[in-house]
Amino acid sequence: MKLQHKLALYNTFTKIAVIAILGVLIIAFIDRISTSNLQQRLIDKRNKLVSHLSDEEIEELLNKQSTFTDYNILKEEYIELNEVSDNASVNTAPVFTKEKRKIEDETQDYLVLANYFSYGGKTYRLEIGETMLALDRLENTIMFYTLIILLASVILTLAADLAFTRFLLAPFYRIIDQKLNKVDDPIHFNYDYAHTTTDDFRLLDSSINKLMQRISDQLLNQKQFITNVSHELLTPISILRTRLENLLNQPDISEENLNKISASLRTLNRLKAITNSLLLISKIENQQFNKTDRVSMPALIADIYEELEDRIASRNITFENRLQHNFGLTGNQALLHTLCINLINNAIKYNKDNGKIIISDNLTNHSYQLYITDKGIGMDNRQIEQAFNRFAKFNATDTESYGLGLAIVQSIAAFHDISISISSEIGQGTRIGLEFKTH
Amino acid sequence: MNVLIIEDEKSLGLEIAEYLAKEGFIIDMARRKKSAEEKLFINNYDFILLDLGLPDGDGLDLLKQLKELPNRDDAVIVLTARGALDDRINGLEAGADDYLPKPFALSELLARMHAITRRKHKLEKNEFKVHDFTLNIQNRTVSFGRERINLTKKEFEIFNYLVLNKNRVIPRLNITEHVWGDILEVNSDSNFVDVHVKNLRKKLAQHAPIDWFETVRSIGYRINI
Repeated sequence: MKLQHKLALYNTFTKIAVIAILGVLIIAFIDRISTSNLQQRLIDKRNKLVSHLSDEEIEELLNKQSTFTDYNILKEEYIELNEVSDNASVNTAPVFTKEKRKIEDETQDYLVLANYFSYGGKTYRLEIGETMLALDRLENTIMFYTLIILLASVILTLAADLAFTRFLLAPFYRIIDQKLNKVDDPIHFNYDYAHTTTDDFRLLDSSINKLMQRISDQLLNQKQFITNVSHELLTPISILRTRLENLLNQPDISEENLNKISASLRTLNRLKAITNSLLLISKIENQQFNKTDRVSMPALIADIYEELEDRIASRNITFENRLQHNFGLTGNQALLHTLCINLINNAIKYNKDNGKIIISDNLTNHSYQLYITDKGIGMDNRQIEQAFNRFAKFNATDTESYGLGLAIVQSIAAFHDISISISSEIGQGTRIGLEFKTH
Repeated sequence: MNVLIIEDEKSLGLEIAEYLAKEGFIIDMARRKKSAEEKLFINNYDFILLDLGLPDGDGLDLLKQLKELPNRDDAVIVLTARGALDDRINGLEAGADDYLPKPFALSELLARMHAITRRKHKLEKNEFKVHDFTLNIQNRTVSFGRERINLTKKEFEIFNYLVLNKNRVIPRLNITEHVWGDILEVNSDSNFVDVHVKNLRKKLAQHAPIDWFETVRSIGYRINI
């Protein structure tokens, strides 16, 4: 659940609670005031009645029956008077009760004052009732409006809270989006502060910046280290290479020594290739190449075929160029060349004699796909997983591979935002897909 | 021809010197920018092999100073381990004639020097006699007497390279690097060179015995003249 929604819910609940408590209190208060008001009125009436009583009146009241009941036309109040034999209750304080009374087939809640008094040696019970309908109506009305206000305020505050928290939290999501989600390379991190007046977000922002600064410093150090090491290695390799080349041409050198020198030269070449590959990868990762060349895919593939045709011919491999689209992109010509030549060279290296390589493509609305398919030895799932690991070699007998070819491919692809897919089956061959986004 | 080798790594300088001396070059060496400056101002050279990373300064500055001197036509080949594209561009912009990233093959250095000589001075004859064959670098042809031998582009390149580095064992790898370029990872096996050499030898052998065209087992080739 989003913080925004949690805050809105919390606010809503507290508001409901506050309004509900207030409503209950108001109702209770009104109930008390009006009840005591009513009671006072009943007492006043009773006093008025009792003080004005006369024999005639009582006679008159009780004339017709033993019990006298009178009520006004709206049945808002009534008076009941009857004679009781028991005089024990005389002088007890008036008692108020809330009771249902049925008057002319109409049942209503009444506040009833029951009182005994003696007059002329006789004890009478006087009951004065006043309807509570008005009170109930008032309470209902208050309740109704409280509910309306409650609902309205809940809806209003919910909307206001959502809008406000959204506004409040906007910098937070901006920070997450720009500083965390959109960062794929800490070296090209945007250190500009997000605009916010909230101190907490400023803290978050500056903490992320500091963290990124540390990460990118370390990464730069590491990359610089690789560059330096590779670079420092090239000079001694250079010395050894020239020395061995001179040794190769010493007169009277035995065949055994010649072979040893030659083997050393091959080893040295391997060292050179690894060093240069690492240098290349770190240069790509340091973005030391520009991406401004216009590169035509068919022309690139044709160039590469020309460069590799000897290798293809030497294994009697059929090379089928099935490109259908004249796709071009802006990138680094040399790097894209390296990318494709490495992949096609792999397709040759891991092919079978008299095998086949197919270059095909596909153009959709959003992307261009280039497929390099070989009918070679193929890879199993584990090999596919490890394919892009540095120094991973697939074939133990393949001592001439340095295991960096695909690592180079991967860094060039990442540099150009090309996605790579591999599908392969042991003994059937491998298909490498390159997907160029065209937007 | 005079060559000034400006290289701070003493042993590398000496190895280059040894190779070039056998070709008849007269070698002068400098290991610091300061001593290189002195030598540059005093002498004229046919070739200057310039390492960019010198302990007491940048080799590029030397190149710029040299280009400001009047009446100088020294050919400059920049040697660098920096390997950066920028170095190459900067070096060539500053007036270098060629650029070789370390580690380079000495046979490649020699081939580049020959190419520069041909391009700059047009003095060297464009034809080499290779026993009974004639190699014309200008037209890129090989002929036997008056008969032209039909070589492919790559066969010619290999033949030319071996002739330029005559009397030396040239490892296959050097040939691959020269003819196909230095492609990372891809050059790990260079046996396909043999196919081209086999065809080349077959074409040459149709005209005359070529026992001077040696295969040095498991290493490479040598043309003895």
